[in-house]
Amino acid sequence: MKEPQAQRAVPDRSSAPRRAGDSRPFAPGSEPVHAPAAGFAAPEFAELYTEHSQAIYYLALRLLGDPERAQDATHDVFLKAFRKLDQFRGEAAPRTWLYRIAINHCRNLRQSWQERHVFSNADDAVWEGAVARTDSPLRVLETKELGQRIQKTLDELPEEYRLLLLLVADEQLSYEEVGILTEQTPDAVRGKLHRARKAFAVLFQKTA
Amino acid sequence: MKRQSQFHAREQQQEGERERQEAQPIEFATPEQLLRHDALHTPVPPAVGHRLQESVARLPMPARSWWRRLLGL
Repeated sequence: MKEPQAQRAVPDRSSAPRRAGDSRPFAPGSEPVHAPAAGFAAPEFAELYTEHSQAIYYLALRLLGDPERAQDATHDVFLKAFRKLDQFRGEAAPRTWLYRIAINHCRNLRQSWQERHVFSNADDAVWEGAVARTDSPLRVLETKELGQRIQKTLDELPEEYRLLLLLVADEQLSYEEVGILTEQTPDAVRGKLHRARKAFAVLFQKTA
Repeated sequence: MKRQSQFHAREQQQEGERERQEAQPIEFATPEQLLRHDALHTPVPPAVGHRLQESVARLPMPARSWWRRLLGL
C-alpha cells in the first residue's frame, strides 16, 4: 500500500525555537569542562555524542560518499569537539557547532583528495528547463538501492546545493542556522533552496 | 510434520507480504523529506563510538593551572 507523504509545508524556521533537548547550549560562563581522558567519563560529551552523532555521521556520509570515510570523519569531528569542549561557551547551539566542525573537516578532506566540484551558474538553466518533471513529488521504491540513488544524485549536485539540502533536511536547524553554516542570509537560503530542490529532482529522476 | 509445513507456509506468506510492502512506492514532497527519511534509516555504526572512546582515553590530561597546583587541586 502506498504511503503518501503528507504535503507538509516547509516550516518557517527563521525564528523557530529549537527542539527541547537539543536547544540546550552549555551554560554561558560555566566552568570549562576538562573531561578526564577516560572514555566518555565527561557526561556532557557523552550526551553530545548520543544526541548528535547520527546527524554528523549522515552529513559526512553524504558529503564524502563513502561509509568508511564517513566513520573516520565522524570520529575525527567528535574528537576535535572533545578537545575544544572547554572553549565552547554556548554562543551557538551544540548541533550547529558540531556541524561547523564537520563541514570544515569534510571540505578539507574533499579538497585534499582533489574532489573539488566546480559550480557553474550555467547549470541553473538545466534545472529551470526541466520544470514540468520536477514539479511532481519524488516517488521512490523503498529498496536497498535508494541510498545509492541518493548518493549518486548528491554527487552530481553543485557543492552548495548538496550542503544546503543536507542541512535543511535536519529539522533541528533553523534557516538562520543553515544560513550561518553556509555563510548566507536566511532569505538567500530560501531562494537557493528552491533551485537546489529542482536540481536534485532532475538528477534523481535520471538515476531511476 | 503437517504442523511444520503449515508453519513454513505461513512464514513464506508473511515474508512475501513484507517484500510486497517494502516494494511499495513512497512519495516525498521535497528532496529534504527524502533525505530525512534516508537519514532515519542510516544509523551510526557502533564502532565509531567505541573507537572514539579509545581515542579520548588516550588523550593526555590537560595541564593544571599554576594556582590549582599550588592549592593541590
